[in-house]
Amino acid sequence: MAALVSSLIVFSLMRAVPGDIVGQMLGQTSDPTATEALRGFFGLDRPLYAQFTEWLIDVLRGDLGRSWYQGQAVTSLVSEAFLVTLQIAVLTLIVSTLIGVPLGVLAGIAEGSKIDGLIRAFNLIGLSAPVFWVGLMLLVGASALFSWSPPFTYSSPSENLSDNFEIIILPILSLGALQAAAYSHFVRECMVSELRRDYIRAALAKGLSPAVVYFKHALRNILVPLVTFMGLILIQILGGTVVIESLFSIPGLGRLILSGIQGRDYPVVQGALLFVVFVAITVNFLVDAAYGLIDPRLRK
Amino acid sequence: MISRFWTTRLAALAFAGSLGTSVLAQPASDALIYGKTDAAARSGGKLTIGSLTEPPAMDPYHQAADARIRVTVLAYQGLFYESASGEPLPLLAESYSISADGRTYIFKLRKGVKFHTGQTMTSADVKYSYDYLRDPKNGSPGAGDLSTIDSIEAPDADTVIFKLNRRNGLLPITLTHRYGGVIPNGYFASPDARTRLNQTSVGTGPFKLKQFKPNSVLVFEKFADYWQKGLPHLDEVTFAFMPNSAAMVVAARNGRIDMGIFTRPQDAEQLAKAQGVRLVRTPSMGQKSLDLGAEHPLLKDERVRQAIALAIDKDAVMKASIAGYGQVIGTMVAGMQERWGLPLSEVPNQKVDLDRARKLLAEAGHPNGFEIDLTSIITYDWMDAAAVTIAEQLKRIGIKVNIKKIELGVWVRNFRSRQMGFTFNDWPTSPDPSLLYYRHFRAAPLGADFRNWNNAAASALLDQGLEESDYAKRRAIYNDFQKMLASSVPTIMMFSSDLLTVEGSRVQNHQQHPTGWYFGLAKTWVAK
Repeated sequence: MAALVSSLIVFSLMRAVPGDIVGQMLGQTSDPTATEALRGFFGLDRPLYAQFTEWLIDVLRGDLGRSWYQGQAVTSLVSEAFLVTLQIAVLTLIVSTLIGVPLGVLAGIAEGSKIDGLIRAFNLIGLSAPVFWVGLMLLVGASALFSWSPPFTYSSPSENLSDNFEIIILPILSLGALQAAAYSHFVRECMVSELRRDYIRAALAKGLSPAVVYFKHALRNILVPLVTFMGLILIQILGGTVVIESLFSIPGLGRLILSGIQGRDYPVVQGALLFVVFVAITVNFLVDAAYGLIDPRLRK
Repeated sequence: MISRFWTTRLAALAFAGSLGTSVLAQPASDALIYGKTDAAARSGGKLTIGSLTEPPAMDPYHQAADARIRVTVLAYQGLFYESASGEPLPLLAESYSISADGRTYIFKLRKGVKFHTGQTMTSADVKYSYDYLRDPKNGSPGAGDLSTIDSIEAPDADTVIFKLNRRNGLLPITLTHRYGGVIPNGYFASPDARTRLNQTSVGTGPFKLKQFKPNSVLVFEKFADYWQKGLPHLDEVTFAFMPNSAAMVVAARNGRIDMGIFTRPQDAEQLAKAQGVRLVRTPSMGQKSLDLGAEHPLLKDERVRQAIALAIDKDAVMKASIAGYGQVIGTMVAGMQERWGLPLSEVPNQKVDLDRARKLLAEAGHPNGFEIDLTSIITYDWMDAAAVTIAEQLKRIGIKVNIKKIELGVWVRNFRSRQMGFTFNDWPTSPDPSLLYYRHFRAAPLGADFRNWNNAAASALLDQGLEESDYAKRRAIYNDFQKMLASSVPTIMMFSSDLLTVEGSRVQNHQQHPTGWYFGLAKTWVAK
């Protein structure tokens, strides 16, 4: 149902944006015969409901159509671009988790200390800095300090692993640093709240070692909100790649959607956004499923 | 029937006379195609070019985007090549003749030309290509340029005859590279032919398409059977699409790209100081202008348009928006000023005259000025600074300007529906005044008259210019037209920004064409 509503919204929004592919193709020429010929070629001369119904029926059959510019199947364009984005998103998630969770736990345990202050400062900067700015600073900084820049011509890991690493390292660091700050902030708040609970005090009073209390009890109890947050972070990273892919010339899903919108390539934009909705629903489903694994009580 | 007959052989004799007999073996114009030949050139090597613009597709028949033309000129060829000075040099045509009434053109085709598909080019291919292009039902943006063609015949394998419905002196320059190019007979019969052009090129150009990965790279490789022996020098050319100039500056500084055309002067200036790169400035065929659509209730009055023109200091606008990296123009783009432009001193309404501007406004019933929206296009950086400068300049005569930024698609829709109002424009042209003016300013139905100028006298001059083939007579006609244009002010052509090409030290003999199209790569070579 969510996918159907989303598809209708996406379809309507694209048609509501002024201009179409015919205008983009003909540029400053305005021959009415050529205009009509192209409108007919792309099916834009048919009523909107007919265009939507036909597209929806094709989607239900698993066919997202073909790019009006490239002629390539949208499913193939989207899957190629998604793999690129997924690689960045997953690695960013790993980097941000590895940095953000320990920092958040540490800040929560050391609440009110200088370490907590430093980590909170990092969180604040990370939460307020735009990803475009961070990416640009890393790009310019790497050039100024090391006379190095990414190659800007994308290679997949299977084509050339070292080139792939060179092109994705800065995007991952840019997105990863910001998401680590968000993670750290969230984990700190959870830890602080958890460590103030009675059972923690009781455990410490009984003589359990702080390490056991913090990591075995407190950390385990914040895993459910943490996994929820991880799902949100993953969706946020997928959204953030629109900007970062544009900055680093990476042919991912974000850039595919952006160029589709600019060129009014309706099948690509509709197909790609529908796919994004599908991914968001899937991630939420997986998060819900993970609750049961973390806390068996929730299976009931 | 035939009054004149030029062959490139005659041109060769004249050229050889000035350069020495060694050129005799080769027609003169051949040596000038794609720029000057470098005797020291070596073959081999690859070049990576950073590009801030990306072609939406590689189809030269159905895509008007300048970003597409820039690169497809490497793979597709017309009957003529538009030289940097604006003359049409025979390319796939070897020679041509014109009938006395100017309505029949006979083209003799070059022999031994092969397509990237391996087929040999014949007159049937030429006939098919231009017949397809000129039929508006095929939806090509180039159809309007060929509307004077009545029929095309191919009496033998090496001859093509174009019969016209009216005289058209600029037919040769129209049969160049903006749209189309000669492709194999019947190519578009296949339903997926258009989109297949993104994977395989089918032209006759010096490079053939190797790979096009949208949002990433475009790769051309040397066409081994290219008809100009010894060309191209490069084995491969890769265009890396850069979504922003900051990335391109960093890439050029660190040697990730060998070359790139920059649009923001501040970026090019930064690189000009870097080691191992050089900045090359080339006057362009582009123009940054202000359009004044007569459908606007205020701008329909010629006196209002003249007042605006008299209040605008073009030089100040140019310095504010592109840091002076360009040339102030009157009514002709910088790249064609020498051959076709009216001297700036003779162009009306070019000098700032605020008193006269105020007087004109008062006569038009606006003694206290008025308020007007000025639209600029999002992502066209130069328009931001220009808009603020113009708003300040027009404030001096009581005009309050509200700057409105709109997306390109919205702007194109307004433009094509002739609802331009008061807006910035940024457009390139092919090197002929008729191609520059006709569609834009000729009244409908023969022209599009986007600014609703509806000027019968100007339209008559444009028709004369189209039909005349004598250069001196054409120049006189276009001089009169330019005076009319500057006097009535349907548009204010402000300046042409220079093409700012940054080249690494490996790059040799790259000659930037004033259109910004990459013709020059055919004769570019890389040092070891």
